[in-house]
Amino acid sequence: MAVNFEKLILDLVTPLVIHPEDLLVKKFSEDEASITIQVLVNKEDLGRVIGKGGKIANAIRTISYAAASRIGKRINIDIDSFE
Amino acid sequence: MKSIQFEAKAMNETTLKYAAGELRVNKDFVDLRVVEEKKSILGLNKTYIVEATVKFDVIKDSIMYLKAILADMEIDALVEAKPGENKQVSFYIDANENPILIGKNGKTLDALQVLLKNYINLFTDEYYMVLVDVGGYKAQRKKQLEILATKTAKDVASSRVEARLGKMNAYERRVIHTKLADWRDVTTESEGEEPNRYVVIKPRQR
Repeated sequence: MAVNFEKLILDLVTPLVIHPEDLLVKKFSEDEASITIQVLVNKEDLGRVIGKGGKIANAIRTISYAAASRIGKRINIDIDSFE
Repeated sequence: MKSIQFEAKAMNETTLKYAAGELRVNKDFVDLRVVEEKKSILGLNKTYIVEATVKFDVIKDSIMYLKAILADMEIDALVEAKPGENKQVSFYIDANENPILIGKNGKTLDALQVLLKNYINLFTDEYYMVLVDVGGYKAQRKKQLEILATKTAKDVASSRVEARLGKMNAYERRVIHTKLADWRDVTTESEGEEPNRYVVIKPRQR
């Protein structure tokens, strides 16, 4: 049973952005203990995805942790914009 | 429902993108409709008056959003929504793996609520109150908090010594304040800084 984290994060983030064509979610690295996922968004959308004081970004992380806890891995999410 | 009207030279992808940018939402949620066609005097150039609306159904789209997330987490779940008074919407999730969705001290549950509230309020003009509960966790927690509040308040009222409760989030503190609001012998106050804010129950001065 493998949870597809890229799809999970994509589904979480897509409705929040104005420029879905610039949204890129990619697995950066994976080893036994952790997974790193890179989320790239349009510069205009960065604020919406991170939220006030990182509220939205933290919520996305918490939900990803929950999903990852079932396979006993840590998940790191990097959110950044182009440029 | 959010909507705008504008003039466009043509009806194509660029028009849609422009409308989405103006409305500040994902273009998949924008509906375009031609209100009027205008022709220039020679009839060579056509322009359109276009109305762009955000197509969003609070209940339906929210359930779809939650279901997609839960499916991605590989969790089978039942999702129900109930609209309430004053722009309040309650969502109820029941899954075979509720503890994963609740998380430590309800952390994951709170994250789901934050995301859903943000999602709904991005697409609507009105401000919605959003409540998410998983398997009755919040309802049960509320009952426990009310018992704790009553018990501690009784102690405070008889001993006249203030009592400090453990750290709680905004919703949990609110439950305590509301429960003890009409007590004659005690007052409540929140102290400390987030995320370590807590409620202090004080004896009322006579």
